[in-house]
Amino acid sequence: MAQVEIKKGEKELLDDRQYWWWAEKKRSPRLNYLRKGVWSKATKGSSWLPGVKMDLENARRQTRVFKEAPPSEPFIITRARALASVLDNMPVFITDHSRIVGYPGSAPHLLTWICTGSSTLNDDTINDRTGVISDEEMEEAREIERFWKGRTYEDKFVQYQNRKERVVGLMADYAAPGRDIIAMDYVVPQCDWMYQGFDSIIATVEDNIKNGEKKMRESPTAEEQVSYMERIDTWKAMKICLEATIRYARRLSRLAKILAENFETDPKRRQELLKISETCYKVPAKPPEHLWEAIQFDQIVQVAYRLEWHNGSWQWRQDYWHWPFYEKDVLEEKNMTRDEVVEYCAEWMIAAYGFGRAYLRVGREALQGTPGPYVWTMGGVKENGEDACNDLTDCYLESALLARVCDPTFGFRYSAKTRTETLRRVFECIRHGLGYPSIRNDDVLIPNLMHWFGHPLKEARRWVHQACMAPAPDTKWAAPALRYPQPSIATGSKAVSMALFDGYDPLTGMNTGIKTGDSTQFETFDEFYNAWYEQLKATFKMLVGMEHRGRNVEALFFPKPMTSSLFERCIETGQNSALCKERSSLWFTLFVFGDTGDCLAAVKKLVYDEKKYTMAELKKAIEANWEGYEEMRMDFVRAPKWGNDDDYVDRIWVKIYEDLGKMSWSVRDINGQPWPTLPESIAAHTVQAPKIGALPNGRRLGDPLYDGGCSPGHGFDKKGPTAVLNSVGKLDHVGSVRATLLNQRLSPAQLQGEKGFTMWRDYMKTWHDLGINHVQFNMVDNETLYAAQKEPEKYSELMVRIAGYSAHFVEMNKITQDSIIARSVQKF
Amino acid sequence: MATCSECKKFFPLEDDPTLGDCVQRVVDPRQAYYKAKPVEAEMDASKCSSFQKK
Ligand code: SF4
Repeated sequence: MAQVEIKKGEKELLDDRQYWWWAEKKRSPRLNYLRKGVWSKATKGSSWLPGVKMDLENARRQTRVFKEAPPSEPFIITRARALASVLDNMPVFITDHSRIVGYPGSAPHLLTWICTGSSTLNDDTINDRTGVISDEEMEEAREIERFWKGRTYEDKFVQYQNRKERVVGLMADYAAPGRDIIAMDYVVPQCDWMYQGFDSIIATVEDNIKNGEKKMRESPTAEEQVSYMERIDTWKAMKICLEATIRYARRLSRLAKILAENFETDPKRRQELLKISETCYKVPAKPPEHLWEAIQFDQIVQVAYRLEWHNGSWQWRQDYWHWPFYEKDVLEEKNMTRDEVVEYCAEWMIAAYGFGRAYLRVGREALQGTPGPYVWTMGGVKENGEDACNDLTDCYLESALLARVCDPTFGFRYSAKTRTETLRRVFECIRHGLGYPSIRNDDVLIPNLMHWFGHPLKEARRWVHQACMAPAPDTKWAAPALRYPQPSIATGSKAVSMALFDGYDPLTGMNTGIKTGDSTQFETFDEFYNAWYEQLKATFKMLVGMEHRGRNVEALFFPKPMTSSLFERCIETGQNSALCKERSSLWFTLFVFGDTGDCLAAVKKLVYDEKKYTMAELKKAIEANWEGYEEMRMDFVRAPKWGNDDDYVDRIWVKIYEDLGKMSWSVRDINGQPWPTLPESIAAHTVQAPKIGALPNGRRLGDPLYDGGCSPGHGFDKKGPTAVLNSVGKLDHVGSVRATLLNQRLSPAQLQGEKGFTMWRDYMKTWHDLGINHVQFNMVDNETLYAAQKEPEKYSELMVRIAGYSAHFVEMNKITQDSIIARSVQKF
Repeated sequence: MATCSECKKFFPLEDDPTLGDCVQRVVDPRQAYYKAKPVEAEMDASKCSSFQKK
């Protein structure tokens, strides 16, 4: 197949929508080598791809340091020394043709395993049956797992959970495994501060230690004196980590020099290796002065904190922070051409695609096909409100067409000021079937950040994606240093069945909800609605409470010195990243929430308005999973559905969203701020399908749930794209939620050429003006998707957008593939 | 007894020649790379299958 396709010219390949072959033809030999050689850490279903193995290096070194640590040593210092041991001793490597170096593992095919976070994750890792740990290393892995049992962050946190909280967290059908079980962060580094270089940060830390020692003895009050004890330990630990990161970069520098001087025969590559050596000697110790130094700086930072704790995302705004380097190197000093920049950006995307971590099976299923999701933020506005899009934004968008990786993806900040030439490139990415950028509405999300957390306007304009959806400013007092939010699964649609059954879940046979009364006795729809709302609120309250305690456990007993050292506020206060309070940007994910509104609308119409069925009949049908009730089920399927601009059902959705807003203000986080929700689904709409019983929208156990947060049900939106936008536009995207996810499918045939771009641009303008915060597109026809199901080997590079991330279609399980095919293709 | 310091793959540190890097070429099923791991000059090389006399 490859030989046949590649014979075609570039134009022919584009006309035939064979974008993978087009990219292969267009890429330089370097990019082709790296793209084909990269070890993707995405999973197929929940299994790692063949050849991918677990790296024991990190776990081995950390365990050794902890075993040998003197009992009197402050925990945070042991943590820092353990990380330093990894950075000093883990093998480093340089892949042929690469120029961006550094990886959080000892070989390209290895997964990072952090053994200090979660005993459940450790169990899951060593019990993997696919051979991800080789037979030779299994005994050592077991020994590591045994040592950490009872010592991990999770074990510490479990002591502060009651039985219900623990069971619900582990079952993963009602609440997602929490931060204790997943042991994963979303860290937003503060670029402008970090770029002063680690030497300068270390100098500040040394001053702080010196002053702290003095104040510990000379402060006027005892309270003040003793407060410096913990702070001095924290600063010392940060210093250990920062120095070790510099040494790690210099190990790469040394390897590059050895290769240039002893191994490399090609003079051009020798020069490249010497440049790598020079760069890694300089950064992150010193400030970056060129684009390639800034990229390398960022890469080293990513490696360092990913060796301390798993990170689920990759929060960066490259086009914004690297623009001054681009101006200098490309426009002023002409050290690089624009084409070289595009190639560098593509190389970085490919390098990031290779990053991966040990991850719980339930998480691998919910994020099947992606190693991240790593969402890089592009576009948007500057602090002064002007359009921030620049030629580097365009370079990144062009590089995505070449790299064609499903991770990182881009989240593009669209504003009324976004320039057309950049929008054109955004559309090209979508047209090439990448499924990204996802589009975010700056003119909604900036007010949203100000509304919920009081971020000043200038800071709100500095937002990046903290995970797939949630925006967070990357500023001194706002940049999140950890994953505070608890993703709650099924509290929308599962709360519907718990309202029906008075807190009882017929699927699990457990009383996971609260008592809200016998639903057959409810005389009005409002009573039923309130029962649903009370179920939701009870879950919400329980889970946010767990989050406060989880964060506090980290702050008091399990601090992260490396991560802390990347935050100005932590260096200033001497507090670790969990202890030091930020101006929050948190959220509460509501997975598979979308069915809720349509369920409630169907109950209102058929049970209360038309009285066609009684609540008792509905309960019976639901308990029977609609078996024997097909005619009745079809009535519930035909009830008004979201996405058709139908006020009957849309009003219920609007009320639900308003009530989500009220619920968010009913609690306060550790920083004293409200806790807004974020309905979305990643792949939970299919992964959770066997865990959520039949629902009143006609759904049966096992049928996919609605994807996204405000996406219509698959195939239920029958009135075209404008009707969908009109429905979604009725929601308050500023005051009700943090964000909510909208999936749409477009017709590749209809959106060809310049006319296609113009239609899409007009659509986007409507979307923007309706105040919708998010939209993302699939633009692959069903013909191609069916063909890929039939002959997956021929479509290994076909990408699709799931709900919050992109993935290779053939790496999804069948139910997820089918749910994408079932989405309505919108025609203009 | 042969030691790492006698091996072609050993590259001593400039500021401390008792330590160094063992630099090896690796070709895996997808890509080729050079890898460096820290070793001590006097480490026993008699059991190292990659040892190559300088
Ligand atoms: S190949 Fe073996 S003997 Fe040679 S330097 Fe490396 S570890 Fe030592």
